[in-house]
Formats: sequence, C-alpha cells, structure tokens
Amino acid sequence: MKRNLRFFFALFFAKGTALVLKLIGRKGTSMPGSWAIILCPDFLGRMPRPKTVIGITGTNGKTTVANMVEDVLSRCGYDFVCNRSGTNVNTGVASSLIANSTFFGKPKKDLAVFELDERSSPKILPYLKPDLLLCTNIFRDSYKRNAHMEFILDILEQYIPDSSRLILNADDLLCAGLKPGNQRVFFGIDRQPGDKERCENIVRDITVCPRCGTALSWEFIRYHHIGRAFCPSCGYASPKASYRVTALNEQEGKMAVTLPEGEESFPLLNSSTINVYNALSAIALLSEFGLSAGEISSAMSKLSISETRYSEEEAGGKKVILHLAKGQNPIACSRAFENIRDYPGKKAVILFLDDYFDAAHSVENISWYYDTDFEFLNDPNITQIVAAGARHWDVCLRLLLAGIDREKISHTREKETSPSLLSFSEPDSIFILYDVYTIDLANQVKQATKALLEKRENENEN
Amino acid sequence: MKIEILFPEFCNLFGDMSNMRYLQKCLPHGEFVETPFESVPLFVTETPSLVYLGPMTERTQERVIEKFRPYRDRLSQLIDGGVCFLFTGNALEIMGDYIEKEDGGRIQGLGLFRLYAKQDMMHRHNSTFLGKFREEELMGFKSQFTMAYTDPDYLPFCEVTRGVGLNQGLKTEGIRCKNFIGTYLLGPVLILNPPLTRYLISLMGEEHPTLAFEAEMESAYQERLRDFHQKT
Repeated sequence: MKRNLRFFFALFFAKGTALVLKLIGRKGTSMPGSWAIILCPDFLGRMPRPKTVIGITGTNGKTTVANMVEDVLSRCGYDFVCNRSGTNVNTGVASSLIANSTFFGKPKKDLAVFELDERSSPKILPYLKPDLLLCTNIFRDSYKRNAHMEFILDILEQYIPDSSRLILNADDLLCAGLKPGNQRVFFGIDRQPGDKERCENIVRDITVCPRCGTALSWEFIRYHHIGRAFCPSCGYASPKASYRVTALNEQEGKMAVTLPEGEESFPLLNSSTINVYNALSAIALLSEFGLSAGEISSAMSKLSISETRYSEEEAGGKKVILHLAKGQNPIACSRAFENIRDYPGKKAVILFLDDYFDAAHSVENISWYYDTDFEFLNDPNITQIVAAGARHWDVCLRLLLAGIDREKISHTREKETSPSLLSFSEPDSIFILYDVYTIDLANQVKQATKALLEKRENENEN
Repeated sequence: MKIEILFPEFCNLFGDMSNMRYLQKCLPHGEFVETPFESVPLFVTETPSLVYLGPMTERTQERVIEKFRPYRDRLSQLIDGGVCFLFTGNALEIMGDYIEKEDGGRIQGLGLFRLYAKQDMMHRHNSTFLGKFREEELMGFKSQFTMAYTDPDYLPFCEVTRGVGLNQGLKTEGIRCKNFIGTYLLGPVLILNPPLTRYLISLMGEEHPTLAFEAEMESAYQERLRDFHQKT
C-alpha cells in the first residue's frame, strides 16, 4: 500500500502523542498506535516494514518465547524493534513501528520481532507479512474472546500470508496442520518418561482425524492433545520434527536437541514441559533465522524465565513461590496445577483465580473452572488450598467436585488477608497462583506470607 | 435410570460436561451412557431418562444435524412423550428451522421448533444472564456467535430479568416444550443453579432429589446472585 496524506497525518499525530507521553513519563503504552489506526485504519499496511519480520503467535507461551528470542538476539549483537514493552495486538505493533521509525516513517532497524495475538491476526498478519512465523500451540482459551479453537484455526488459516515460513509444533496436531501449502519446519519432544497412553485431562481439543474423521490412535499423550497421534484409517499422522528434544537432564540442567545441523546440548532453563517446549520453539525459530546452535546455546545459558511468571523465595525455612496461572485459560491453569502437584515436598496453595475486571464490575463466567484440571490438586502432598476472591464459594465447590477433602479447603472473599488462613506446620512450600492482572496483589500476598513465616520462625526460636 | 450424553468428544466447548459429572454425583445409581459421534444414539432404541447435548463448533453443528436427520421423528416422539432433554449453548439451534450464515446461506435444521438462528462470526456476544424459571432465579452466562429468532411467547424456557434473551429484542430465553429444555446458557448451568437442577432431577423421576455438596452449591449460588444484583 502507498503512503498517502492520511497516513502521514496519522504518523505525525502518533509521533506527537508518543512525545507527549514521553515528556509526562509514561512508557510502554500502545496509545500512539491506537491513534494511528483510528486516524488511518490501514496504517499498518502503509507503514514501511523492516526488511525482516519475525512473528511469534499461538495460544500459550508466546510471551515467554518472544522474550527468549529477543534476549538471545540481543546477546548475539542484533539490533531490532519489538513490542516487548507494549501489547501484542495491532495497536501495540503499530506503536513499536512508529517508535522505531524516522520522521517520515522509514524503519530505523532492519529486523523486527513481534509477539502477535492470534485473535488479532486479521488486523496484523496481512499487513506485516512475517518472513518467519512461529506458532507455539493452539488450545482453547478465553471463551469470550477466542470462542473455540476451530474459530482461531480458521482465522490463522485465512490470514497467515502464503509467503510466511512457518515453525510449527509437531506434537500439536491442530497447530501442525496450519497452512499446509506454506514452507514449514516442525519442532517436538521425543517420548519422555511420564508420557502417557491415555489423556488425564478434561480437555482434549482434537480426538478425530482432521482428514477423514476416524478416531485417532495415540503413540503417547503428554497433556491435553499434545502428543503423537496417527489415524488408523487414512494414515494421517503427527509430522516428523526437524528440531527434537531427545533427552532431558534435570540434574545437570541440560537438554539434548537434534537440529538439522546436528546435535547440541542446550541449557534447561526450567524443567516444566511447557518451558521445554518454549525453549525448543525459540531454538527452532532462531536456527531458522540463521543463528548457529552454538550461538543460541551460549546465549541461552545466560537467560532465565521471567520473574513476573515464576519466582521462588525463601522465608522462615520454607519456599514461597509465585506462579502465573493465566485466568480464563483452562489449559494454562491446568499446567500450573500439574506443576504444583509435581513439585517436590509438601505444598500449600493460595488461588486467586478471579478475573480482575469481571470481579470489579460484573460476575465472571466461571465455566472455565470446569475445563480446568483442579483434579491435579487432589494429591496427598498438597496439604491445604486457600481460595480467595469474589468467586471463592465457586472455587470451593469446584475443589470439592475434584474430590479434595473439605478439611483441606479454606476460602475467603478477602484476598489480601488470605495468608492468615494458611496452616504452616505441614507444607515445605507455599504456592501463590495469580493472573496477569493481579501481579501487584500477588506480590502483596507474598510479602504477607513471608512475614507470617518469619514471625513463626522467630517464635519457634524463642 | 439411564442418562445419555451425546457426542461428549465434540460437544463440550465450555466446561459443559461438568453438568453430567455433577449429575453423576447427585444420582450415584444412574447409568450414564456416553454416545460417541460414530455410534447410533441410545435414544433411537431406548427411552433414556435424560438426553444431554452441549455446545459445539459451527462445523460440528452441521454434522450433528445430518447425524440426527434420520432420527427426527424419533426425537419428536420422545419430546411428545415427555422425555427430559437438556440442550445447552448452540445445541438448541439444530432443533430449529434453519441457521443463517453470514453469506446468507442456510443450514436446514431439524424443524422441530419454530426458531431460526443467524450467525455473526466477527461479533461474538458475551453476557451475564439473570432470569426467572418457575418463580426461582436462574443465572448463567452466554458466549455465542448467533442470535435466535422466534415469535414472542413461543415455548419460552424462562423470562429475562437482566441480560439478553433469545435475541436482543426478546424478553424470553430458550425453548421449553414439555420436558425438553434448550437454553443458550452454557457451561456448568446445573452447578450454577440448584433450583433448576432439583427440578430437572425430579422430572427425571427421582422422587426426593438431593444435590451433591448442596450447602456449598447453595452458598455459591447466593453469593453469585448477590453480585449479579449489585454489579450488573
């Protein structure tokens, strides 16, 4: 699309807005991009794009993967534009492009890395035309926004440009089937101890062959529909991966990966399966971009998973762990619950599952609780669960339906005082699960929990 | 007592199977039969106490309509005979006259009820709902790409107190015909509404319906109602 007067007016207005925001000390806002798109709805199509554009999309893991990819690229000396401090929708992408452009909109950098919201694909992908597009996975997500996976798949199928080279998850048949005509490579994790023959989860978004409708047979299932499957009737099967994790060594903190260029050992930043997938997908993307396995491995050894998503601290001889559990996303919460179950030692859990905005102004649609595997919390090593927030009775009921003993459940509407309900004698660790929008509250509760633990330790010492 | 759950592998988009898992706790002696899509439904050869169908994707809707078409008369006979049905979310649409797509094309339904639905795939409707069913408050959630249209007062399931009925202009929600209940409310509608669940279990022939975790369920219901009244 050609740049016209309307485009330049939108660009200058957006740049002016960005300048004012900078002067008043506000950062990371998508307001300049919002104005640009309000004033020129096809702004993204008219804005000159950097020479190479990398996109990262999918239901879960895209923020973690985008951060990882950006950190590796920075450590390898690349200069690029990204939307890390903004949003992953069209206005966030526009803001980043505006911030990194000359007065007349020419990109200052040749490389862009964008985390892209899959639901916003129609407003981004046809304009941005990523050269490389990574799709981490496709799962059911927020019912309100994403409806169901068929809807999201149809959007991606329709709007991913034919020219984009795809990096897809071989262990996710929904993701692996995207845009079959595009150039593509796959990543996957070989069968590992703990992979199962049968699905333990409530939700499995693909059960029949997408080609002929016959019930799929599974070589193994890792979680939900992640695993390797084949159709006994027509031969449709999970594709072969070019990037494969072949072995995980938790003790040494390493994972062995087979790449097209050979085998390489990479640091294991976090041993939870979703984070192994995140790291592997980043490796595949960076390798397809042109970095060598050695460069990626060396840069990754200096990284860690963002502390806003997971952090561990000690107080009073016990661990206090903040764990993100993205609200209204049954898969992300199920993964978090399984991580807690599998964490060593005895555990207590504080759950803040309320949607921040719904809790303030409405009544949240809690249907997603019933697609979420609360059953993972029904474990002898989980000694107590505290449910806090507006829907505490609903969470309590869901926990009971998961078979958890009444004696283990405490609940309150008051989130801030929830640590006072904890019984500290049994657990070695206290998990605090929170949503993206309740980080401040989670930190407040973490401090309160730590204070109680330290007080208890002092009393015991005296 | 047999309860048939139709196509649980597809028709479970919004935590809907929890309705049946909950009923199992309330009716420990009930026989719950899950019918996969490739099988002949139980209701074709037997008369279950309840037939349940949950919401599905738009493409699945078309497949389910074709699957049911040969059994249209049987469905009609069972509804007339007073068998309990619970169809939630867009499952109701397959029983109507047609579903109109965005391009104007029509998917012919089973024509058992005088109702049609119109799709709008780029504008998803999400809302909270409060209604009256047999003088008791009924609450729930809607999340859908369609609105349904029928004549005012045509076989309403419940009255709208707050929120949207079958469409923005209608003050009634769902379809109730004898013991067939079809509602756009989705997800754990039975867990959310103890009065409805008690009533449904009694319709199924249980003389003294008792609810699992009744005290907690009732507290959750009352707290949600309070929030509905205060915040919406």
